[in-house]
Amino acid sequence: MKLTGVNRFVSNVLAMAYREATVMRHDKAFMAVVTVQPLMMLLLFGGALSNEPANIPWAVLDHSRTQISRQLVSEIESTGYFLRPRAVTSQAEGEALLLRGTALAFVVIPSELRRDTLRGRPEVQLLLDGADPLNAARVGGIIRSVASRFDPSGRGNARAKLVARAGVLDVRGRFWFNSTLRDRDFFLATLAGMLLTNLCLSVTSLGLVGERESGTYEQTLSLPTTPLEIVLGKLLPYVAVSYGVLAFAIVGAGLIFGVWPVGSWLAMAVITLPFVLASLAIGVLVSALANSSAQAVFITVFFIMPSFVLSGVMLPYQLMPDGVRQIGGLLPLRWYQIGLRRVVSRGGGLDDIVVPILALCAIFAGLLLLIRWRLKPRLG
Amino acid sequence: MNARRLRTLVRREVNATLRDPFTLGVLIAVPLVALLLFGFILSTKVEDMRIGVYDASRSSASRRLIADLAASDSFRPRRFETGEAIERALVRGEIGAGLVIPADFERSLLRATAGGAPPELRVLYDGAEAVLAGNAEAFFAGIARATGAQLVASDVTARRLAGAGAGSPAPGGGVGVVTRALFNPSFEGTPFMVAGTFGFVLSFLTTLLTAVSIVNERQAGTFDQLQLTPASTLEILLGKLLPLGAVFAFDVVLMVIAAGLFMGVWPQGSALLFIAISAFYVVFSLSLGLIFSATSATAAEAVQKTVLSSIPTIQLSGFAFPIRSMPLPIQWFTELIPATHYIRVSRAIYLRGAGVAELLPELAILVLFGAFLLGIALRTLERRA
Amino acid sequence: MADPIILARGLSKRFGDFTAVDAIDLEVERGVIFAFLGANGSGKSTTIRMLIGLLTPSAGTIVLDGIDVGLHPRQVRERIGYMGQKVSLYAGLTLRQNVEFYAGLYGIEAGDLERRWGAVRERFDLAQAEHERPENLPAGVRQRAGLALSTLHAPRVLFLDEPTAGVDVESRGLFWELIQDASDEGVTVFVTTHFLEEADYCDRVAFIDAGRLIADSTPEGLRARYSSGYRIEASLAAGSRERVLAELGRAGFVAEAQGDQLVARIPALDSEGLRRLSLVLGPEAAASVRIEQASMNDVFRRLIREGAALAAPAAGAAT
Repeated sequence: MKLTGVNRFVSNVLAMAYREATVMRHDKAFMAVVTVQPLMMLLLFGGALSNEPANIPWAVLDHSRTQISRQLVSEIESTGYFLRPRAVTSQAEGEALLLRGTALAFVVIPSELRRDTLRGRPEVQLLLDGADPLNAARVGGIIRSVASRFDPSGRGNARAKLVARAGVLDVRGRFWFNSTLRDRDFFLATLAGMLLTNLCLSVTSLGLVGERESGTYEQTLSLPTTPLEIVLGKLLPYVAVSYGVLAFAIVGAGLIFGVWPVGSWLAMAVITLPFVLASLAIGVLVSALANSSAQAVFITVFFIMPSFVLSGVMLPYQLMPDGVRQIGGLLPLRWYQIGLRRVVSRGGGLDDIVVPILALCAIFAGLLLLIRWRLKPRLG
Repeated sequence: MNARRLRTLVRREVNATLRDPFTLGVLIAVPLVALLLFGFILSTKVEDMRIGVYDASRSSASRRLIADLAASDSFRPRRFETGEAIERALVRGEIGAGLVIPADFERSLLRATAGGAPPELRVLYDGAEAVLAGNAEAFFAGIARATGAQLVASDVTARRLAGAGAGSPAPGGGVGVVTRALFNPSFEGTPFMVAGTFGFVLSFLTTLLTAVSIVNERQAGTFDQLQLTPASTLEILLGKLLPLGAVFAFDVVLMVIAAGLFMGVWPQGSALLFIAISAFYVVFSLSLGLIFSATSATAAEAVQKTVLSSIPTIQLSGFAFPIRSMPLPIQWFTELIPATHYIRVSRAIYLRGAGVAELLPELAILVLFGAFLLGIALRTLERRA
Repeated sequence: MADPIILARGLSKRFGDFTAVDAIDLEVERGVIFAFLGANGSGKSTTIRMLIGLLTPSAGTIVLDGIDVGLHPRQVRERIGYMGQKVSLYAGLTLRQNVEFYAGLYGIEAGDLERRWGAVRERFDLAQAEHERPENLPAGVRQRAGLALSTLHAPRVLFLDEPTAGVDVESRGLFWELIQDASDEGVTVFVTTHFLEEADYCDRVAFIDAGRLIADSTPEGLRARYSSGYRIEASLAAGSRERVLAELGRAGFVAEAQGDQLVARIPALDSEGLRRLSLVLGPEAAASVRIEQASMNDVFRRLIREGAALAAPAAGAAT
């Protein structure tokens, strides 16, 4: 009985998918990527990596040694970003600490501090290790903001006093780092995007080229399937695995770190499909273009790097210069992370992510055309 | 050890590496691209950030403020008619932050000089974009302070979700802070990231390339043949390390020059010292790559091992994320990663102009690690199942 | 056997639960061509890799040219040559460059190399291939080049692992001529192959099946033991039937007449036996003689069928 038209299409695709899934199950390297990598990245980004300053070592040269200077130092320390300050006895000693990188900030309090405070314009000196510019700038800002709020005379409203005495930085007082707004949440929101990019790119790149080398590709071509059916059949099992990884990323981040998506789970599921298809298509395209499996693997591994940087998962894309920002718009991960952030962090629903979904579909369609053009039904 | 045998092995390896256009391409393109990506793009300088401005005051003071904002390189202000319009644009990602100038701005400014409360400039940012917010506020705060205003921050998303109130700073006398940086006075992020990028490239790319090399040889059968010749394992190992090391040393030189010419980043310290240390560090990643290679059956497996081990080591090495911000036990763990020490040395030379004397402890650690890894590589290659 | 060049006792290799090679004893005399036959996966390659020191045995000892391979693996390297299943020529280098590479590793000086390579190139007919890259050479030429390379440093023992796999029949024949040339010069050749017919080129044949040695003898000996030997057909001169049958019977043939055709069988047939046969038959009938020898395939199948466990005859047994 010959199947016709759509039936045959579907049946062919499913047959190819089943075969691909069987191969996948026995591929140890692949299983490692699917299980070990997600867990590792979850722990890294949720537990270890952050741009927030912490455990900052600093030094203080206190010429004044009055209650006022000690209070200033303790207020800085009680912001929670700093370690206990190291008291030094000379300018040279403090600068030496900076030079060695043992201290990031060096506060020099002049002996006239008390007198200047009474006169209304006290001043301290802050020396920073610019060799760690990102941290130094932030730490400088923190010290400056503590200093600008410093009110030892007790004048100023009651609420300010409360804030200063409480020691723990109040949500309202912190410009830089709102406690509801942490780097961790920033990264975890798009963790799924990072994991899926890794997965999809580094796996399918092996599929086609590996087959060409082992010879099964010729065999596949001799089957009565069209290239489109081949491609879709190959992609299907990976789509299934991708949803598994997505689930892991969301549930893992929620269970371990308490970061649950605020918005619609359905929206996340919907946008994941075109993203995964587009990423897989990139892998397939690369493997069709590469000459050997080693080459394919290289190309995809080094495609992941710019993907992460330009898409906006590590650094907001709004900060990137013109031109560069637009180039990033060609990456599937860019649109996926836009959609993810809208849903996970801002509580968006399906209607908020229409544009990203459409962009992903467009990218996928474009890639399919490219693949169709390269994957001729004959060899060479 | 036989000099002639070693020479023979080295010559062949050089031939093979240089002959492959793809490898050559990777060797040149990847470091340059990495430099651009990390050094240029990731160094978070706020430039041309699109902000929305809602000017309820329309006074000369507010116009002057907006003009100041526009004149700075950091911002590109765009006018909005209402606060809600700003919020919408913020959520859609069209602007990075919003500024609301209250209706009584000019009057409040005048009153402030006579001792009254300063006017409040409201900054709207998107709480879901932490990094964006942090950077924007830094610059806003500077400008606002210059005008004598107070900055009030408002997280649009947090408010929408939880009705949290906006922050407000405590007014008070305050202490002035005269700030100076001992190095890198303008807090340029680029040299910092460039120095770290060397660590990234020399750890990741090198390991990856070598991981594939032995696997390929084994699959072609030439590795067996090699082991049957009088060449000792040490000679075979060095026969791979030396030429590959030289090739990557050349890569380092390329990167140093590229970073200097295209990004204006030259090492403060001795470039020669830096290149020498980098060439030595390359030995690590090469040894590691050889170990992965010798224990994998296919190129794909070797690559997977490399990638899996590289992700944590790179992320934890202080390349992009500060080590001090990590939980303490993890900080101790990072000391075990050779890349951590190399990146420290790299940054010390690039940004602080450190010399051999200051770097001695770190260099000693690197030498120890190197010897250890070489030993393991030797043992792994020696193994005959 | 006095002073075998290869002596292996109780050689075994286990990979986890799987025993690839099970307590093999081998003795190889100097100067012979020793064939090590078996199906794919029978343990051939594992055995040869142990013999040359590429693989550490799980049990057993190997003594090669008087050197214990387990204790001093590096010492044997100068004395052995190896050609693996994948011919180990470096792609991207020409044949000549490959030669210079290996010469460098074996410490062959430049002048010496010219001389040796000149001779080898001549003998192996590689002059045209000298400046080509291996990937551009046909398989037969590549195999020859691999063999040539393995002889360059004048080893005493050549280990060839499936040297004729994937090569066309004609090249295979040429290849075996080269192997026999080497043997004539005193080099011991240890060959594995799964082309059972190639056993007839060799002095001694051992069969391995599922890791165990199931036969170790000369090709003739194996034929005699495990097959119906030789089948001879000839026409009978008129009236000679009874005489021929009787004389052949006395000479050890099992003969019968079918009409005027003689059909005889004998386990082993050497040149003496052939001469006797033609004498008995007479000149006319002798011209019509057709001899079929049992194929090694049949021998092997019979071997396996008889479930011969280990048959490692001491020197001198089974002819």
